Amino acid sequence: MKDGNSLETGRIPTWCPGCFNFQILAGVKKFLGDELKGGKKKDDFAIVAGIGCASKIFDYVNLNGLNSLHGRVVPTCHGIKVGNPNLNVIGFAGDGDAYAEGMEHLIHACRYNSDFKYIVHNNQVFALTVGEPTPVTEKGFVDKTTPYGVKFMPINPIKTLIAAGCGFVARVFADVAQVDAVLKEAMKHKGFAFIEIIQPCLIFHADKDYKSKTYDLQKAGHNKSNFDEAMKKASEWDYNGLTDKTKIPLGIFYQKEMPVFEEQFDILKDLKRKKIGFGDVKR
Amino acid sequence: MNKMRFNILFGGSAGQGPNILTSLVGEALVKQGYYVFYSRDYQSLIRGGHNFNVLTISDERIGSNDSKIDLIVALNEETERIHKKDLSKNGLIIKAGENEENMYFAGAVFKILGVEFKILDEELKRLKKFYEENIKHAKAGYEKEKRSLKLFGCNGKLKSVGRFFLNGSQGTCEGAIASGLDIYYAYPMTPATPLLFELAPRQAAANFLTLELESEIAAAISAMGSAITGAKTMTGTSGGGFDLMTEAFSMAGIAEIPIVFYIASRPGPGTGVATYTGQGDLKLCLNAGHGELFRVVVMPGDSKECYELTNQAFYLSQKYKMPSIILTDKHLAESFYTFENKSKLLPVEKSTKFGRYNSYEHTNSGESTEDAEIIKKGFDRRMKNERDVSIECGKFEGIKVHGNKNSKNVIVSYGSTKGAIIDAIKDTDCKFVQVLYASPFPTEKIKKELSGAKKIILVENSSSGVLGDLIREKTCINIEDKNKILRYDGRPFLGDELKEEIGRKMK
Repeated sequence: MKDGNSLETGRIPTWCPGCFNFQILAGVKKFLGDELKGGKKKDDFAIVAGIGCASKIFDYVNLNGLNSLHGRVVPTCHGIKVGNPNLNVIGFAGDGDAYAEGMEHLIHACRYNSDFKYIVHNNQVFALTVGEPTPVTEKGFVDKTTPYGVKFMPINPIKTLIAAGCGFVARVFADVAQVDAVLKEAMKHKGFAFIEIIQPCLIFHADKDYKSKTYDLQKAGHNKSNFDEAMKKASEWDYNGLTDKTKIPLGIFYQKEMPVFEEQFDILKDLKRKKIGFGDVKR
Repeated sequence: MNKMRFNILFGGSAGQGPNILTSLVGEALVKQGYYVFYSRDYQSLIRGGHNFNVLTISDERIGSNDSKIDLIVALNEETERIHKKDLSKNGLIIKAGENEENMYFAGAVFKILGVEFKILDEELKRLKKFYEENIKHAKAGYEKEKRSLKLFGCNGKLKSVGRFFLNGSQGTCEGAIASGLDIYYAYPMTPATPLLFELAPRQAAANFLTLELESEIAAAISAMGSAITGAKTMTGTSGGGFDLMTEAFSMAGIAEIPIVFYIASRPGPGTGVATYTGQGDLKLCLNAGHGELFRVVVMPGDSKECYELTNQAFYLSQKYKMPSIILTDKHLAESFYTFENKSKLLPVEKSTKFGRYNSYEHTNSGESTEDAEIIKKGFDRRMKNERDVSIECGKFEGIKVHGNKNSKNVIVSYGSTKGAIIDAIKDTDCKFVQVLYASPFPTEKIKKELSGAKKIILVENSSSGVLGDLIREKTCINIEDKNKILRYDGRPFLGDELKEEIGRKMK
């Protein structure tokens, strides 16, 4: 049953048994639960999702928001933030959604620096449409639509986002504690935050032991305020499959405070000061 | 033509400032009590080329220019060369000379029209910028020009009671602000951008926000995001940009999001003709968005109707939580109309509280569903909404009837052709049925006006006569191809030419 303060929608997730998306959902709920315990209200948050397995999370987290269109999570989040700058907006999308149709918006989001958090579940495949390659699938990947294999190198989203001027670029593995921890860090960051979660797809892009290849950037003493260092770390893994030598750095690659979109328009600053949205403005 | 219809053409290259000059003369004459209509013809370039404005003056309401020009103001030599053939008998030309500044021509025009210099002085004071320089040039023009038509003998005889002189974009802008606009999203595209030009400078004073984003897709989707938080939101573009917005439009249908789309058409398909006019997008508005979704489509015919129908678009979309479209075109968006007063607008209540919205078919609490019963209920709810809107719209003017209301000769049209048609049918046995709503379509009202007609003539700025198709679909009344007056060269109808054309069709 749903009640007003519960994060539960009463829906039973339709992800495959054992899917890493359950880890992400649990991490998100841990984060939100702690935020509510810390005094925030459920109505202080908004959830946005696109279309795909990742975006099913909209049905399992009882927050106000919009289950939007494929590729359009970023402008939806931005629009909600403009409509009411007091809301804590979190967007969820898969790698197909974010990096194929959604890439144009993602680059511009770095420039606008609207204060919302964007989470990309990267399983390197279009899973809900049964296994086609996305822009981050490794070269040579074969499926029914691509019988001769993918001919192109994958995009490296971490490098792309750092280069585009994103003020918070992080990557974690689909693990409850990691998801919870990175969301807490992202929430403290003022401005647009990009978080990629490596979420192997058990059916169409099986876990080739990604987790064992990972290491923690912060524990390794990475200087996240240094652009060149961040680019170097981002280049350590090119998303093009795994080898014996593969090292996948996790954690915050880059962080920099920059002017926030909502703080650059008097009318939005005013709404924030009054703790209201445009919907509350009487004319 | 009637001597109280006087056409002045201001021509020059882009950058010479024919617009400031035309507006200045227009404003001054409106204040003198005249009715002024002014349209712009400009090319898609920034400097050079050939641009011209035609300003028509009358002592009664007008909405079009004529093909014959009574006074040519040639800011460059090319203007005279191109337009000399259009000069009426006894028509005059103010020729381009050396070192003649913009306001020199204003002075000369005022002299020829027989308007006192102090009225020009007042207008230049209102402009503020470069007053000292402007007044010097204006005086030179007024003194050097020896011809005078004294056509108008106005100088305070006719009294204008605070008349409005606005273009369609300004009418839409005023209507949106008066309806409580919170946020306007756009991406630049002619001829919709003039609305952004009007809105952007007024945002601080009227406490709303305009935002230009990276694409029409971003503009429309962000508009959805803002609208679900309760903001009164509008987005605008031309036909090509609206193509990109249609996925958001479709989502607004199923997620039941109140949102207003403004479309200013130009000839298509594709990039078409960027700075000219056309009415080819009516079916786009009616059919945009996959799936079955209802929308409101209003079609104003002048700047006053832009003001009123923008308000109705906001009212209906907020009340029934659905997308509305305001369909205009370049000719309407950028032409200036004189009208007496603004109508009282409907108060627009904000309808939306932030909640859980979904582009999937969804349950009441916003989760996606594949349940047969809920899917059907969703359609039923939206169809009921459609019926409710149709009933409510019955109280609005879905159509307007102009001219001889008992005539058996009926002209049907919509949008920016209104002015030329009304001008063309003066003193003729003709009734003009102007359609204001394409959706919900005022079927019964139109049936009533068209049944019993001896001849039905369609006038439209398109190659296919889209409104004719719509009328046949909704009323089973067929307008024969030979009774269609279609113009599709990017130019608007002219009052005198259309009068002849209608005369031929009536025979």
